[in-house]
Amino acid sequence: MIEGLFYLLLFPGLVFQVVCGLAYEWLDRKLLALFQRRVGPPWYQPLVDMIKLFSKEDLLPEGVNERIAGLLPLLSLSSVLTAGLYVPIAGFSLYAFEGDLIVISFLMSIPTLAYYMAGILSKGIYSLLGGGRSLLQYFSYEVPFLISLIGPAVMAGSWSVEGIMTSQYLLGPFILYQPLGFILAFVGLIGKLKRDPLDIPSASSEVVGGSLTEYTGSKLALWHLVMNMQAVVGIFLLINLYLGRSGMSNPIIAIIIFIVECMVIMGMLSATSAVFARLRIDQLAGVGWRILVPLALAQLAFVILMGV
Amino acid sequence: MTKISIPIGPQHPLLKEPLSMKVDISGERVLGGSLRLGYVHRGIERLAQKRNYVQNVHLIERICGICSHIHTTTYCHGVESLLKVEVPMRAYYLRALMCELERIHSHLLWLGILAKHVGLDTIFMHVWHDRELALDIMEEITGGRVLHGANQIGGVRFELDEAQVAMIRAGVEKLHTQVEGVLDVIENEPALIARTRGVAPVSADMIKKYCVVGPIARASGVDVDMRRDNPIPPYDQMEFSVVTLPDGDALARTLVRVYETRESILLCERILRDIPDGPVSTRVPRKVPAGEVIVRSEAPRGELFYYLRSDGTDKPARLKIRTPTLAALCLLPEQMSAIQVADIPVVLAGVDLCVACADR
Repeated sequence: MIEGLFYLLLFPGLVFQVVCGLAYEWLDRKLLALFQRRVGPPWYQPLVDMIKLFSKEDLLPEGVNERIAGLLPLLSLSSVLTAGLYVPIAGFSLYAFEGDLIVISFLMSIPTLAYYMAGILSKGIYSLLGGGRSLLQYFSYEVPFLISLIGPAVMAGSWSVEGIMTSQYLLGPFILYQPLGFILAFVGLIGKLKRDPLDIPSASSEVVGGSLTEYTGSKLALWHLVMNMQAVVGIFLLINLYLGRSGMSNPIIAIIIFIVECMVIMGMLSATSAVFARLRIDQLAGVGWRILVPLALAQLAFVILMGV
Repeated sequence: MTKISIPIGPQHPLLKEPLSMKVDISGERVLGGSLRLGYVHRGIERLAQKRNYVQNVHLIERICGICSHIHTTTYCHGVESLLKVEVPMRAYYLRALMCELERIHSHLLWLGILAKHVGLDTIFMHVWHDRELALDIMEEITGGRVLHGANQIGGVRFELDEAQVAMIRAGVEKLHTQVEGVLDVIENEPALIARTRGVAPVSADMIKKYCVVGPIARASGVDVDMRRDNPIPPYDQMEFSVVTLPDGDALARTLVRVYETRESILLCERILRDIPDGPVSTRVPRKVPAGEVIVRSEAPRGELFYYLRSDGTDKPARLKIRTPTLAALCLLPEQMSAIQVADIPVVLAGVDLCVACADR
């Protein structure tokens, strides 16, 4: 009982993931600042931002169902937290079972749907536009993203993240076999997180704040937290599926390698944000269905044929 | 799909100055738009009639925060024409130097805003960092970054010494390398090109119909530049090329401005090379003889038009200002069709609005 609570609330549950989420946000902002010849925020900035938002008045437009509007970020938060419990960290996994990859990918898409719902519910014009765009974007990146998650599973012959890792223990990291799949999963992750080149649903110059335009105070803070934690879980998942675990049996070295891998992916995410301009939604749909999906299918076919 | 109307402004992340636009959209398609102006109307033309000519220099400088110098230059040139005074050549050169620096900083500011609107914050930050060089030079020689107080009727109020000339030379040279670098990125960044190529093209006929001037006209192949067509000294003695591009789309509007920035940097170097020695100002009487004059000059955004009428007192009887943004604003609703919601920032940025200028 106490052990379960520890897992749920401290590690790898709530506290650990919140800390990771805040660290992610700070690192992202700091790296982006370095790319842009700025100084960037101090390390505690995401935390004080959050405290400030929680202390603000919580307002919603008239006629919005407050209970549902409050429930949506909580629902997203809980689904991301649950997904985080199943994703192994530095080879350490608690509740691994056959098929948890499917559960994780399902739980990871709930925040996007909740984001869409939030936009539709908020009754603002910009929220409506942002919500619609988030759904359109979802259809563009999710398919190649899921196909590129299937690649490692097929190669390892297992639908559990732990099984995929064990398989990489023997075969070597899957990024060597499926570099294309890794890139597609990376692009899909950017789309999922609505990060800079694909921040179409929340582009401030086009739709002000997207779905979250009308959100304020603690609900907005929760949304930000969800986005950050989703990023952390996504990065962990990407590392587990493609970079694998090298032959280290020493847990300390494994943790160090894991942190280094996280930093590398963070750097890639920030560099992508810094270098590319935002696409239009029709351009993204075009790229998604005409380029990313065929590439993902080709990669999958390659993996299946290689296994035969 | 149902038609909805989204408000852009008076306060919107897209706008740096208050302006209200109603854009009708259906899904992601834009059907049309309408404009409402006047949020920063300060009645400057009327105020100018209540103040004397010397006070008006300072009033007119406050029309715009970006192109403040060209306004006073045009005004002073008008008053000097009415007075028929001989302004020292060195003063003209110093004015032109400030005008070109202003053009550089205005175009770089604009480029940063466009980059920000299409999600390229890195270019925004880098370009605005480079723009500081131009602002630093202006601060060094006049003491002001935004409002320079550089002009007076009959000349300018600052003089350059050796150290300042060296500083300007170094700064301009650095700007040159930076702008070449930025140009290299803009010409080759695929996502930026994808966002701007073919967006809201404006034909040369449309430009002439709406009397649009400046970089927007030149991006559509209309070859107008008041520095060459109707030069105020020293532009009649200077060699420079007027950049025009045929396409008329958002990409052409972007490139024209960056090429112009490069041209202005070259002009700065030429001005520093050719500047004659001599006094920088001359004494002028307070009262201006009766008469009227029209002055046209090239502001960063295009032709700036001043009409000045004097009745022989020390106050102008009428001062009419037509800024380049006004014509560009008229073109805006025309451009707000056959585009997407995501193109609205690109189109708005392409116009390079200066609402404070247009409203006065």
